[in-house]
Amino acid sequence: MTIHPLRPDAPAPRPAQERPDTAAAYDSTWAEQPVEQAPEGLDRLMGQGGKIYVVLAVVLLIWIGLVTVLFRTDRKIDRLERRLDRDIPKDE
Amino acid sequence: MSSSAHTALPVRRRLYRGVRGLVVVALTGVIVAGFLGAIPQLDILEQSARNLYFHVPMWFSLMAATLVSAYHSARYLRSGARVRDLRAREAARIALIFGGLGIVTGMVWARFTWYEGTGVWWNFDPKQSMAAVLLLIYGGYFVLRDAIDAPKDRGRIAAVYNLFAVVTMPFLLYILPRQMPSLHPGGEGSPAFSQTDLAPAMRWVFYPSVLAFLGLAWLLYTQRVRLAWLREAMRTPDGAPDPEPAPHR
Repeated sequence: MTIHPLRPDAPAPRPAQERPDTAAAYDSTWAEQPVEQAPEGLDRLMGQGGKIYVVLAVVLLIWIGLVTVLFRTDRKIDRLERRLDRDIPKDE
Repeated sequence: MSSSAHTALPVRRRLYRGVRGLVVVALTGVIVAGFLGAIPQLDILEQSARNLYFHVPMWFSLMAATLVSAYHSARYLRSGARVRDLRAREAARIALIFGGLGIVTGMVWARFTWYEGTGVWWNFDPKQSMAAVLLLIYGGYFVLRDAIDAPKDRGRIAAVYNLFAVVTMPFLLYILPRQMPSLHPGGEGSPAFSQTDLAPAMRWVFYPSVLAFLGLAWLLYTQRVRLAWLREAMRTPDGAPDPEPAPHR
């Protein structure tokens, strides 16, 4: 875990509480303002339009999963149909 | 029957594969275009207007499935062929599945548009209530089937009930809700094909979506029929049941 030093003007996480130095090192409060940095690569694409692309990605993954199930079931039925055809001797 | 009885598959494989490929491509395109395409900005609806691409095709699929089911029930009454009963049953099952999805997606959509801020999920809007009644009627079809043990009686009685059920479908989905005040859009005319109700940009997603979901319903239906057919064939000692035996054997 990264230790983020508190800014001098930032309010202490819990002002009422006595905070010994031994506890401050474990804070996860993000008090320091991160350097403004334009998101790059995938983050830039997925962050556009209110992160609609994230939703699209999730829905597409679900759709791919469903299509996979459809195809696998088809293959199983195909195989069963072929086996049934072979196992049953033709009369006449 | 001749030896071709058990080789007669309930579906042409090449046709099935072709439809499957088209459906996969079309629905993937519909999902992408449905999320990213431009839509008119409307109050209340806002981005939820995109639900049109997914909610409405559920009902078109239900209607198609009920018609297919009724067709096979009618054929069953004429021929007594087991496969007709199987087809009617599986089509009704697909209708119930798509209807269930349609009513649940409609509930969610209505909750955050019609009933936004009220916390109401269901307010007995005529369109929703009638759709629920239709689903109950089709649920009754399966209850009736399960209540009869003898396959021939089951098939015949269920087929008669199914013909009654399909007649209620247009009344419950179209005619009755339009006689009553409903929040559901499309109360007048033919909203899907009207020149003013649907923005041209949305038609390019909506119509392919309807076709693709109809195709998907057909794929699932065909899959179920093949499975039911296999099950029958394994139960009958001499292969698959007669596809179309002579009536009054």
